[in-house]
Amino acid sequence: MSTVTVPLAPIRRWIGRRQSAHRERGATAGNIYFALLFVAIVGGMVHKQLAVVFWPSAPNASGLAAASLIPVLFGLLYLALRRFGPLALSRPAASWLLPAPVSRRRLLLPSLRLAAIVAAVVGALFGLAIVGHAAPRTLGGREVALLGTGAALIGIALLLVALAAQAGGRWGDRLDAVISLLLAAGLAGLVTDASATGSVAAGGWPSATTLLPLVGTLALVVGLLFAWSVRGLARTPNERILEAAKTAGTLFDSAFGVEPSFLTDMIERRYWARRHLRSVRFPARLPVLVTQDLLLVARRRRRLLWLALAAALPVLLAAAPAALVGIAILLGTLMAATTSAGNAKTDAGNPVLLRLLGLTSRQAVLQRMWVPGVLAALWSAASLGLLSALGDLPTGPWWALGLTLGPVGAVAAIRRARVGFVRNELLPLDTPMGTVSTGPLVNAAIGPDALLLGLPALVAIAQHHPLSWTSVVVQAVVGGVGARAYLAGTTATDRVELSSR
Amino acid sequence: MVDHPAVEVEDLHVSYGSTPVLVGVALTVPAGAGVCVTGENGIGKSTLLRCVSSLQQPDSGTIRVFGAAPGATPEFWRAVVTTVEPPTWYPGLTVHEHAELVCRAHGQDPEEAGIDEALDRLGLAGHGDAIPPSLSSGQKQRLTLACALLRPSSLLILDEPEQRLDPDGRKEVAALLAQYLEDGGSLLMASHDESFAAASGAAVTTMESLLPDPS
Repeated sequence: MSTVTVPLAPIRRWIGRRQSAHRERGATAGNIYFALLFVAIVGGMVHKQLAVVFWPSAPNASGLAAASLIPVLFGLLYLALRRFGPLALSRPAASWLLPAPVSRRRLLLPSLRLAAIVAAVVGALFGLAIVGHAAPRTLGGREVALLGTGAALIGIALLLVALAAQAGGRWGDRLDAVISLLLAAGLAGLVTDASATGSVAAGGWPSATTLLPLVGTLALVVGLLFAWSVRGLARTPNERILEAAKTAGTLFDSAFGVEPSFLTDMIERRYWARRHLRSVRFPARLPVLVTQDLLLVARRRRRLLWLALAAALPVLLAAAPAALVGIAILLGTLMAATTSAGNAKTDAGNPVLLRLLGLTSRQAVLQRMWVPGVLAALWSAASLGLLSALGDLPTGPWWALGLTLGPVGAVAAIRRARVGFVRNELLPLDTPMGTVSTGPLVNAAIGPDALLLGLPALVAIAQHHPLSWTSVVVQAVVGGVGARAYLAGTTATDRVELSSR
Repeated sequence: MVDHPAVEVEDLHVSYGSTPVLVGVALTVPAGAGVCVTGENGIGKSTLLRCVSSLQQPDSGTIRVFGAAPGATPEFWRAVVTTVEPPTWYPGLTVHEHAELVCRAHGQDPEEAGIDEALDRLGLAGHGDAIPPSLSSGQKQRLTLACALLRPSSLLILDEPEQRLDPDGRKEVAALLAQYLEDGGSLLMASHDESFAAASGAAVTTMESLLPDPS
């Protein structure tokens, strides 16, 4: 067997030349021009909002909030890197170059470089935001620059850890769990901070002379780790790279077709492919589809845990206008209900199993609404109950108002699950900012639009008056009638398929 | 239902664009009998089955299933089972649970329906705890057939049920179909394997013989 390695650079150059032969002249320059123009216009439009996010006019975070933001932001970065690879190839390269006798290290190096740049930029932005919210404005430019550099280096370090986890064994999964815990702890810290009125962080920030050696050492360590990772690049197993290539390809498909379901479906498929299940017996008493939904929820306990933790998140908005809290509650209700709407989505996408089951569409949708409804009710009851207990809401039976949001969440989640693919044939809208395709916009609104049924609750929260039982009853009636109307309007007793033909 | 033939097709016309696929096709499947349509690729077997299953609208012609027009009604789908279209399996549900879900939806007791026995006969006994997407294509076909045969029905419409099955699997499926016919069910299928069709007790007929006499 010969071990001759074919040089990769000429192949890449040849591919590049062939690809550009099919492109119009100046197309690449045009794309770059439009991308820069887009960034400039959008940046010009939202620079004030960006300033609020990254560099408010005065520091406004307490020490606890700043310390909590670190695990939250960097934990998110790490988990995102793990989700997407972090080392990926384009699908054509994965098909044709991965099995070719080329240097594995050279093949993967450009991907690693790109991932490192992205991780560094995101890390630096996160670092800057934390410094911007917590550090006194007396902090000098050199200190800020050093802190930003340090954050960028931490971003790269996280990438390298994720890279090792991609190639490594089960410790990667355990590390993911630890990072998730840190993330949860960070969120808990933020909630605690929002419920108490912590004082804005003051001094105690290190000077440039302290920071310089620290950041220098960090740079040295990250540099060494990077070199070591590049050396070991060839050891990344094929199947992990193929998996990441599929992720990258699906991500591209999702972005290009404005169809997020490609990506979410893929993540879902991978999740179940890794699980080891044991068949259970269906209890005879419950309706069969309710049992199935319950089974699905019971098998994703970690999701339930996150959902329970997320019930505390509206507390973060305690200082914001009350209407915003109301909107957050409604969106959270939808999110909670969506946790168990996966089976409805399968039925809407392909009715073959529904035909095999032989239930009417009304029976099917009614049964599919139960578990999402109960989850939505419990979530909003917990969330509103917590807000009320912390004194962020006036007096009243807020937990009961939460319970009445169950049907609202169920209708919204099931409507969302039944939406199907984005209709990209809808007429595009010409605006002064450019052309906007309406298909994705219309698609994104289907589902959340049903949250309008929660308008009485939204008004009750936004008014910030003590809550009366009358408001609770009004919301219960509106939600119940809305759910019935949805069922009557979109299903039939003489049809099996969820969509009418 | 007993008075009518299971399937009656008269003068069926279907074309894709300017390409005619079915021209004046006529077919009868008597109740309690099995018919297997054979013919080369592209001759319109699947199109015929799709029309009979109400999954495709013909350009013209009449189709009756147990004396009534096929439709998307729950009554139709409680009487008819088809494997013309592949299913999308439910996420996070095992092979055994899929079978149980189908039985429960039809009010059957899973014990009496004989899920374990059916999975065993189709070689899926050791895969009860697997999720369907992890099965091989032949095993998925076996699971589809197991679900189709477990639930009560009066007419089976199967598109090449022997597809992707190994010789033992074909033998087992043919025996199950013969049993289904013996128990009073009706069967309409398309196949390329005449010995399989004969073993399942279905009368073999070619697509050409369903066309009107040119004279």
